[in-house]
Amino acid sequence: MAQSTVIQAPGLSTFLKSLKTTPVDPSVEHLISLLKRRQIRNSRPCAIATTALLLRVVGEFKGRDAAKLVERIRQVGRRLTSAQPREVVVGNIVRRVLGLVREVVDENADGQTPTGSEAPTPVPQHDSLHRPTLASSMSTFSPLKHAAAEPMHVGVYDGNMSDSGELSRRPPLLTSHTSYAPPSAGPLVNSLFGLFSQPIDTPSATSTPSGAQSPNGKTTFTQQNLERLGELSRGQTSLDLKGEVMEGIRELQDELETSDKQIAEVALEHIHANEIILTHTASTTVQKFLMYAARKRKFTVVHAETYPHDHTATHGVLLTGKKRESHADEDDEDDKWKPLTEAGIQVYVIPDSHVFAIMSRVNKVILATHTVLANGSLVAAAGAHMIAKAAKEHQTPVVVLSGVYKLSPVYPFDIDELIEHGDAGGVVPYEDGDFVDKVDVENPLYDYVPADLVDLYITNLGGHAPSYLYRIVADHYRSEDITL
Amino acid sequence: MTANSDFDIVLTYRRILNDDPELTMPVAAIEALVEAIAQSSVSTVAETLDLLERHTAALKASIANPISLSAGTDLFQRYLITTLNRPASLNLGPDDDFRAIRNHLLSNGKLFVERAKQSREKIASFGKHFIRDGATVLTNGGSRVVGALLRRAAESSTIRFRVVYVVPSSRSSDANEGDQTVSDLRAHNVPVATISNSAVAYSLGKVDMVIVGAEGVVENGGIISRMGTYQMGLLAKSKGKPFYVVAESHKFVRLYPLSQFDLPIEQKVLDFKVTDDPKTSKSDGKDAVDEGIADMTLKHASTGLNAQDAVDFTPPDLISGIITESGVLTPSAVSEELIKIWF
Repeated sequence: MAQSTVIQAPGLSTFLKSLKTTPVDPSVEHLISLLKRRQIRNSRPCAIATTALLLRVVGEFKGRDAAKLVERIRQVGRRLTSAQPREVVVGNIVRRVLGLVREVVDENADGQTPTGSEAPTPVPQHDSLHRPTLASSMSTFSPLKHAAAEPMHVGVYDGNMSDSGELSRRPPLLTSHTSYAPPSAGPLVNSLFGLFSQPIDTPSATSTPSGAQSPNGKTTFTQQNLERLGELSRGQTSLDLKGEVMEGIRELQDELETSDKQIAEVALEHIHANEIILTHTASTTVQKFLMYAARKRKFTVVHAETYPHDHTATHGVLLTGKKRESHADEDDEDDKWKPLTEAGIQVYVIPDSHVFAIMSRVNKVILATHTVLANGSLVAAAGAHMIAKAAKEHQTPVVVLSGVYKLSPVYPFDIDELIEHGDAGGVVPYEDGDFVDKVDVENPLYDYVPADLVDLYITNLGGHAPSYLYRIVADHYRSEDITL
Repeated sequence: MTANSDFDIVLTYRRILNDDPELTMPVAAIEALVEAIAQSSVSTVAETLDLLERHTAALKASIANPISLSAGTDLFQRYLITTLNRPASLNLGPDDDFRAIRNHLLSNGKLFVERAKQSREKIASFGKHFIRDGATVLTNGGSRVVGALLRRAAESSTIRFRVVYVVPSSRSSDANEGDQTVSDLRAHNVPVATISNSAVAYSLGKVDMVIVGAEGVVENGGIISRMGTYQMGLLAKSKGKPFYVVAESHKFVRLYPLSQFDLPIEQKVLDFKVTDDPKTSKSDGKDAVDEGIADMTLKHASTGLNAQDAVDFTPPDLISGIITESGVLTPSAVSEELIKIWF
């Protein structure tokens, strides 16, 4: 009986738990099935699940060949993204991890003599990696089974997370992979001078090492650097590719965790006393942002409820400060979850149809987003386009809050492709047979908001104009990874 | 031309353009300059730069619209200065830096050309994703990059799309190029409608996206392109159609035009007259194939560009994206790329 309480609906937490004990390939299958069934949805859970899985994938990777590792990650990434193409975040994370691998390799190519390094020979290895795993995975599919079978692993994940947080606070000596733009080494390659560059483009030849990274420079020895040097001298192929990449992935996990906080910290610069702020849908990012401002300032929030696809969650956020559907055990440790009203903020809930009417009184619109695309446009919960348009009409500034992990190198070639349609039963219940028989009911979940309707993006790196986002994209994703 | 009297930069440039119709003006200019260096016997940096400057000035003076050309010459000059300042970055070898760079340039002249052509192909492979199944694309004729892009999209048989082609007036210098592209596309089973410039607004309702080429991409992200591009941009904006520019990054030019009439070239477009004017000499019945040559074949005292070869300036706010070989940029990215090489 005690076990039955452990059983949860399959989702992010069950996946993370099962990841501890399941081998990699079934875990990939598991995540694919969860994505396909929409049991993991929305950007953050998808990002967390993908990073955790990739950490496992890299951890279990055998061999030292960087090219093989890249191919392996790619292969997993391709399957994940094709399982749920609209969760663009999955692809983003995969690209970030691929970028990590390349960075580690490049760095080593810089530091070592070019002969010893495992220069990324881009020979795709199509042999044993592509084994079909479909048939064997039926039994491991059921997340319920895992949750019931391994109740002892409940606490492990939390412990691991805090551990990783510690790890990633290491001195940012060798890299600054995750969040901050790596200094562009080798400007000659990237710039307009590309036309003139050397005919044989080895990465070691063109990107100039900045001196501090070369093993001879005795200036910046910290513990890690010494360790690395020791390894390098032991054997030339002993580059700890796996370790470095895993460290990078942990930093990425850390970024996922802290991005909301970092975004919230600038709240006071954007929300002023007695302003009227309009927002919509249930977003923890926006909620934390507003809460942070509410500590110091009094303002008014107008919340569009985003009926029919997100109104329960929205109401939940307003009532308890937390999405109603989310699992109770996920964020147990922080009791910061308070509704805005508790902080003394006046909150009005309006139906979406009232947005235009109330816009003339609104000082600022703050939008949450599902995905931000490379040209500065965004995909957000349905209703966002209408709100942005109304804001434009009234010259109200529109601010979009988004972690960098939601920023995708994808271009909106086809807008209709990006928009997901949900359960029409949310609009008209299926019991209303008469209605459903005669009328087509649609329930689009997302809206595409073009870049020119947005005034400012706030990411965990700071505020950016929409036209500047291409730069952040270029800093975070390698161009060779854009097509997975 | 004082240093070596037998070398004529303009003739060389013209010959290079003539030999290879696939070549763009900036690349031909770079080629000509490389040849100039090869012919000369300069041995110091200062001499080289001086030589370049003289040749560049001669080249620019020789043609009516040097905007596109100057993109190439500027790029080349900046490249030389940058590499001469930081010779280590080239990894050419420890010995004589200057000679090494000179050798690198001379031995790889053909490579630059190859790479410039490759970048066109690369753009085509980037850009073909923009054309979706069932789309109708509006383009204005003459640009070889746009031609390459559309051809590439046509070759991949999975995309079915239609093209509305704005044909330049038959007297303009690159009408042939447009005809070639149209017939190529039609041969690939892509339905093409040709319209005149005046029918753009009319056709726009059936169009999903606009793709244009550019002669030069200026600092603020706007483009300088054949006459009529600006109005296409305006119309596309007003109809809410995406307006993409396709250009190789060697066409980026350091220029900041504030308006149509702020371009550093003279154009005979607005030509106010009253009836008793003496007949102006309508002597230029030129039918040369290439834009570059056409511009410089006839050069008499107060020429500007004629109406059919004239260019206009499309401001950046009308442009949705610039497709280059290094990726799809927003207009504001152009200035950054330029700053990277100039400062």
